[in-house]
Amino acid sequence: MGYVAVKGGTEAIHNASELAEFYRVKGNTTPIDIKQIRAQMRLAIDKVMGEGGIYAPEYAAIALKQAEGDVYEAAFILRAFRTTLQRNYYSQVINTREMFVKRKISASFREIPGGQILGPTRDYTQRTLDTAKAIETAIDIKTFLDDFDAKIDPEKLEGISTFGKVIDLLQQEGLLAPADPTEDRSLIDITREAIKFPAPRSARLQMMARAETGGLMALGYSSQRGFGSVHPTVGELRFGAVPVRVKDAGGRNRYIGKIEVTENEMITGSKAAKKGTPPYFTIGYGLCFGHNETKVICMSTLDTAMRRPEMGAPANDQEFVLYHTEGVEAMGFTNHLKLPHYVTFQSSLSNTRAAVERNNNANKEVEQQMIQMQSV
Amino acid sequence: MEEQDFILCECELEPLRDFVASIEENFEVIIAKAPSTCMTMIQAEDSVEFQDFYLGEALTTECEVIVNGQRGYGICLGDEPVRSYCIAFIDALTQLPGADLKDVEALLTEQHQLIRKAEQLEYNQIMRTRVDFKLMEQE
Repeated sequence: MGYVAVKGGTEAIHNASELAEFYRVKGNTTPIDIKQIRAQMRLAIDKVMGEGGIYAPEYAAIALKQAEGDVYEAAFILRAFRTTLQRNYYSQVINTREMFVKRKISASFREIPGGQILGPTRDYTQRTLDTAKAIETAIDIKTFLDDFDAKIDPEKLEGISTFGKVIDLLQQEGLLAPADPTEDRSLIDITREAIKFPAPRSARLQMMARAETGGLMALGYSSQRGFGSVHPTVGELRFGAVPVRVKDAGGRNRYIGKIEVTENEMITGSKAAKKGTPPYFTIGYGLCFGHNETKVICMSTLDTAMRRPEMGAPANDQEFVLYHTEGVEAMGFTNHLKLPHYVTFQSSLSNTRAAVERNNNANKEVEQQMIQMQSV
Repeated sequence: MEEQDFILCECELEPLRDFVASIEENFEVIIAKAPSTCMTMIQAEDSVEFQDFYLGEALTTECEVIVNGQRGYGICLGDEPVRSYCIAFIDALTQLPGADLKDVEALLTEQHQLIRKAEQLEYNQIMRTRVDFKLMEQE
C-alpha cells in the first residue's frame, strides 16, 4: 500500500483539538490536581511510566490527565517527551537484593526468607463495587489514616531489613540450569539501535520492560494455556523501592534517589538437555517500573518461552512477541488507519470498478452468446 | 557521600531549601550549570544469570555550582530544580577546606532521623501483612 500526503484542514484540525479539550472540561468540575492523580491513581501512573519507558511519576500524572485517562495515549506522550531530553547519565546496575520490600510472595515455597509479605494487594478480596467511594470525603480519608497509624506502636518498632531471595536458595542447592554459554550476552539499547532477530536477551528484556501490559498478558497467557511448553510457577514476586546511583561529572558515585520496581522470577521445570544430565529448573525473569505484577509475571513467562523456539507457539517466537507487545508502535500503526488514505483508496476503487465492469461486460458477452446459440 | 546524598534526596524540600537560603549569602556562589532536567538510563540485571539490560530512563535534574572556588554537583531524580541546587551547594560546601560544617551536620542528622522514622513506620505497617500460610491438613 502506498502513502500519499494530503494537506489542508488546518482550521478543522485546530477546532477538533479544541473540541476534545471542551469534552475534557465541559462538566466545569474542579480540576484534578496532579498530586491527587499521583496519589490516588498509583497503578495507572505506574503503567504509564512502564510503557512510556520513563520513570517520572509527576509527568506521568500530567500525561494521564492530558489524555483523559487513556493509558496508551499517556504512554505515547511520555515516549515523545523522552526524546526531548539529553541522556546524561547511566546508572550503576540496580540491585534488587537491597530493595525496600513492600510486597514479597512465592507460589512455589510456603516458607521463604523473611516470610510471605502480602503488602498492598487486593488479591484476596472480593471484587465488589464499593459504592461508598462515591461519597468519600477528606474527613473519611483523615479518619482512615489516623486509625491506620494507630495500629502500630511507635515505641515498639521492628528494625528495617532486606531479605534473601528464594532463587538464591535454589541456586545454592545447584538446582538451576547453568547459563547457556552460547547465548548472546551482549548489552544493546533498543532505543538507540534497531532490533534485529534473533535479538540478544538484553534487548528482549528491555523491550518487554516497556511493552504494553495487555499485549504481554495475551501472549503470556497463551503460553500458560499450553501454546508452547512453558508451565511456570512464581518463584518470587517482589515489589518495592531500590536505590539509583550514578557517577557525577567529577567521577564520584552518587545516590540520586529511589525508584519503585516490580520483579518476578518464574520457575519452570526443565527437561534434561541431553541424556545423563539432570532436569534442572530454569528461571524466567521479569522487572518493570512501578507496581505491575501482571506485567512481570507475563514478562518472565515469555523470557523463558523465547529461549525455547517452537513452531506453532507464538509466545516462543521472539519477533512475534516483541513486535506485537510494543504498545506505542502497535497503537500508532492501528490508529494510523483512521488517517486520510484517499489516494490509495481511490486507486483501489478505480481498480475495483474496472474489474467489476470487465466482469459485467464478460457476463454480457456470455449472455449474448447464449441468446445466439438458443436462436440457432 | 552516599549517606549525605541519601538524606538530601529523600528529605522534605522545605527545610533543605530554608537551610541553604539561610547560609548561602555568606559565600560566593557561581552557578556553573543552572538546574536542568535530563535523563538517566537505568541499568538492571536479571537476578540469576546476571544478564545486564536497560530497564528504561528516569527523569533527572542536575546542577553544578562553585562555592568559594569549590565545585559541587547536585543530581536527583525527578524535576527538582531547587533540590538539585541545594544538593550541589552542600556538596561544594562539605568539600571546602576548613569550612564550618556544624550546621550542615545538624541538618543532616535531623533529616536523617525523620527519614528513618518515616521508613520504619512504613516498614512496620508493611510487616503487618506478613502471613504464615498453613497447609490444608494443618490446624
